[in-house]
Amino acid sequence: MANTIRLYLTCIRNTLEAAMCLQNFPCQEVERHNKPEVELNTSPGLIMNPVLICRNEAEKCLIETSINSIRISMKVKQADELENILAKKFLRFLSMRAEAFQVLRRKPVQGYDISFLITNYHCEEMHKHKLIDFIVQFMEDIDKEISELKLSVNTRGRLVATEFLKQFI
Amino acid sequence: MAAVAVHQFAECITCHAWSPDQSMVAFCPNNSEVHIYKLFGEKWEKMHVLSKHDQIVCGIDWSLKSNKLVTVSHDRNSYVWSQEGTEWVPTLVILRLNRAALCVQWSPKENKFAVGSGAKSICICYYEQENNWWVSKLIRKKHESSVTNVAWHPDNILLATTSTDGKCRVFSTYIKGVDSKESESSSSDLKFGEQIAQLDLSVTWAFGVRWSPSGSILAYAGHNSMIHFIDDVKSNPSAQSIPLRDLPLRDLLFLSDRVVVGVGFDCNPMIFTADDTGLWSFTKFLDQRKAAPSSSRGSQLSEAFGKLYGTSKQVPSNDTVEPSKPRGGAHENCITCIVPLWKRGNTTLCRFSTSGLDGKVVIWELDIPK
Repeated sequence: MANTIRLYLTCIRNTLEAAMCLQNFPCQEVERHNKPEVELNTSPGLIMNPVLICRNEAEKCLIETSINSIRISMKVKQADELENILAKKFLRFLSMRAEAFQVLRRKPVQGYDISFLITNYHCEEMHKHKLIDFIVQFMEDIDKEISELKLSVNTRGRLVATEFLKQFI
Repeated sequence: MAAVAVHQFAECITCHAWSPDQSMVAFCPNNSEVHIYKLFGEKWEKMHVLSKHDQIVCGIDWSLKSNKLVTVSHDRNSYVWSQEGTEWVPTLVILRLNRAALCVQWSPKENKFAVGSGAKSICICYYEQENNWWVSKLIRKKHESSVTNVAWHPDNILLATTSTDGKCRVFSTYIKGVDSKESESSSSDLKFGEQIAQLDLSVTWAFGVRWSPSGSILAYAGHNSMIHFIDDVKSNPSAQSIPLRDLPLRDLLFLSDRVVVGVGFDCNPMIFTADDTGLWSFTKFLDQRKAAPSSSRGSQLSEAFGKLYGTSKQVPSNDTVEPSKPRGGAHENCITCIVPLWKRGNTTLCRFSTSGLDGKVVIWELDIPK
């Protein structure tokens, strides 16, 4: 079980190393504009084939690259209803504060839980290998965070129920 | 055999060019200005700031004989700057483009310059003496996507271009009145805008086209980490494509007819040499690195590239996770531009400079065997 996460993350890291070769590219459709081509989606010649990396049916990562931007969408593991709710709330909390993260997208791509949008400007300001480290670390930590949240919810529920039911003893 | 000098000029440099005597360097620090620095002994001092453009200046070229600077920008404009006294005076060039300009290069005789643009066209500009301004002639309708790089053939007439549609094309830019004195043959294929050849070797975006010093070999890089060499384009083209182990190249430079330097996303210049039979191969990286990448990383990268471009390669996976190693070496971020530095009196080129997104300009020196 522990082995597959290493494989999954290594695969994502290597794909990102290959995919994150971005450059400044002015928009071909509109003059004087510079837009992330992966979001614009009008010129098929400027967008590469999307790569989908699946760990199992529940966890996957979609990497879409273009000449000046890359979009990484991930679906995190949600084993039961409680994890579903926790994941949704936690990731929504992060997405609402997307400005602080800079590379986070405010809305996840349809069918996924969270999305990152990295443009050539991010690659100019920050080191590419640090960006990739951040994404991979994020994926690793998300699982831990949700497990911790679930544990604390269950513990708290047990404590509250114990205290409440004491009055009936 | 390595980096001779490293200069940190700004946070990020888009492109750069050297003055004819190599004492001054002009570059764009990723904004709409061009900064010119001069070397006084050991220190660089900012001499001039040319700020006429509205958007990022993406191409600068400094003509060696006539000491003129041409700049093109994403705002569809181009200026030719000439030094009068201590000031640089701009002359607007009407390019008649409706999209951004992407690259510029002076012709070998410096009477024309070519601009590649996102409007899927090329502008060839020449100076009209009677009206005292620069006129542009456009080559339209041949490109299917943005023109990323242009390169002049030593004969001042042929121009090679690379585009994001993956093709490398060679055009004739013969202009009556400008080229008429020099041309020996008056064959029909010398018409302006005539496409001499179209090379379909790359399935992905093509960058960094250059001619060899003799004009017999053409080289360009594809974004799928390949470099293509074409011999004898006009009559009997024969091509060689070499896949690279690591990340793609952005720009190339011919040091001689047998040696090519490629720079790109690896942050390390690569040397390619041709042996006596004309067969090209990768020789080495120029920069000594502290951490050597393992071979398994290389194979996984090529598999990743294969997935991105729709081809499939079967490679066994590796269990260990490698955290990103710090690169070491002169450049920390992608190298975008490589410029030759000719030594006076030398016929072979052994010095060149590179600039990258880390804001550094690095001068390299190489010994080339004859």
